[in-house]
Amino acid sequence: MKAILKRELKAYFYSPIGYVCVGVLVLLYGYYFYQVMMLRSSSYIANVYGTMFMWSMMFIPIVTMRSFSEENKNRTDQALLTAPVGVTSIVLGKFLAAFLVFAFATLESLLPVLVIGLFSSPSWPLIFGNLFGALLYGAAMASIGVFLSSLTQSQVVAAVSTFGVSILLLVIDQISSLVTSPVVQKLIQWISFNSRYSAFTKGTFDISSLVFFLSVIAVFVFLTARKLESRRWS
Amino acid sequence: MIEVKNLSKRYGQNVALNNISFSVDEGTVVGFLGPNGAGKSTTMNIITGYLSASSGVVTVGGYNTLDNPNEVKRLIGYMPEIPPLYPDMTVREYLNFMYELKKVTLPREKHIREICTLVRINDVYNRLIANLSKGYKQRVGIAQALLGNPPVLILDEPTVGLDPKQIIEIRNLIKGLGKKHTIILSSHILPEIQAVCERIIVINKGNLVADGTPDSLAHNLSTEHKVIVRMAGDEKEIKAGLKTLKNVVSVESFGEKEPGVYELSVEAREGTDLRRDLFHFAAKKDWPILAMRNTDLSLEDVFLRLTSASYLRDNAALQGAMKGGESA
Repeated sequence: MKAILKRELKAYFYSPIGYVCVGVLVLLYGYYFYQVMMLRSSSYIANVYGTMFMWSMMFIPIVTMRSFSEENKNRTDQALLTAPVGVTSIVLGKFLAAFLVFAFATLESLLPVLVIGLFSSPSWPLIFGNLFGALLYGAAMASIGVFLSSLTQSQVVAAVSTFGVSILLLVIDQISSLVTSPVVQKLIQWISFNSRYSAFTKGTFDISSLVFFLSVIAVFVFLTARKLESRRWS
Repeated sequence: MIEVKNLSKRYGQNVALNNISFSVDEGTVVGFLGPNGAGKSTTMNIITGYLSASSGVVTVGGYNTLDNPNEVKRLIGYMPEIPPLYPDMTVREYLNFMYELKKVTLPREKHIREICTLVRINDVYNRLIANLSKGYKQRVGIAQALLGNPPVLILDEPTVGLDPKQIIEIRNLIKGLGKKHTIILSSHILPEIQAVCERIIVINKGNLVADGTPDSLAHNLSTEHKVIVRMAGDEKEIKAGLKTLKNVVSVESFGEKEPGVYELSVEAREGTDLRRDLFHFAAKKDWPILAMRNTDLSLEDVFLRLTSASYLRDNAALQGAMKGGESA
């Protein structure tokens, strides 16, 4: 797992992908922060951070799209699958690398708030709640992205489908008010990433949401591993 | 070392491998021969644990590939048909990555350098794999398989895309490795297999059609009771005289090859050796024999014969066609 994690992290920063993701996000964060400060002088900093975290979420499909689809295309999966390592550790290595790139990009959003912290006292629990929620949300999305990329040889297909899923999960709880059946309503709320995430944005530490996101990660890591195994059976 | 029992692989209706069994002893170099799409790569992929079989058992070094996949993978160095290279890495980075991935415990720097010297990639050691030529990529692929000195090497068409000089280099390399490793290599190029392998397994359309040393394969299929002979004398007399010999079934003349010298093919009853009788007879008649050879097939003939569809459909019919084909 370590070897794969190391290679993946290097690969992100050999190619421009890593630098572009991290760099563009810093620019966007900086611009957005400046705009909010200058135009609105909002004191509700958690909201601002919520938006910034959501932006970093948009980069997840780009980060995960190449993880397995490129291996499938280059046929390098043959090297991975014939090496004495289990499939789960291959998937975990890939997933962790994607997550770390995302986490690095997300942590950049702390830069402006640290500057504020020098001169005043923002609501730290809110900010860290937001950050923690975003990291969990992002980790779950990354596991889905890695899974989707294992299904295809095309990076574009992987990216677009991950993007679709991510937007769907973001807005799915809004439709629950249109649904009359309480069972369906409950179901939608249950799978909604947003409602799980919003618990953290209020500065609370919600164990059930934590378990939810960790379970999503576990399920998709498992599914990806099965997908890799399945090529042995097809 | 490698034991393959009743191996079958089906893709839906399509049968890629049909009940193949063979075993490979330690320290032998075995060649898989077969036309494209015969099932060579599939067999190799199953042995290395990349694919699994629809039915049948593969054990390597006593470990079953299904029960102990990691132990088996540790024993095998595999170079697939398309070398699994990351174009965005340099050779150095790639080999270091594979070293870690394979959990090799030999001294890293020294071991990797030794392999690079062996396959002659030292001069591209720090170059990006994407910029290497096909031949170098192929060699990096072989280097990767050698990492950790695995006792078994499986090389899928290792010389594809190389120039003739490189092909000879790689062949010599494989020969050298064969002293210490058990090697399975596949190819559809006969001279290559003939040059390197002690044993040949011919696969066609998922079936194992022959298994033996290069010589025994050529021998089994040749008709030893048939000799080609060049004699000086009168054509008609020779022809008539030879027909009176014991056990001779047919005599055919190929015409005058040198002034006053005729080439004839003499076929005897199966299981009989004509050569001594032929000599004594010619000596008595004072017809000098200038050349005599039996009709051993080249491996190329063997291969064509084994892999032609009619061989599978009707062995006997082919035997007949063979006899007809040879005299032509």
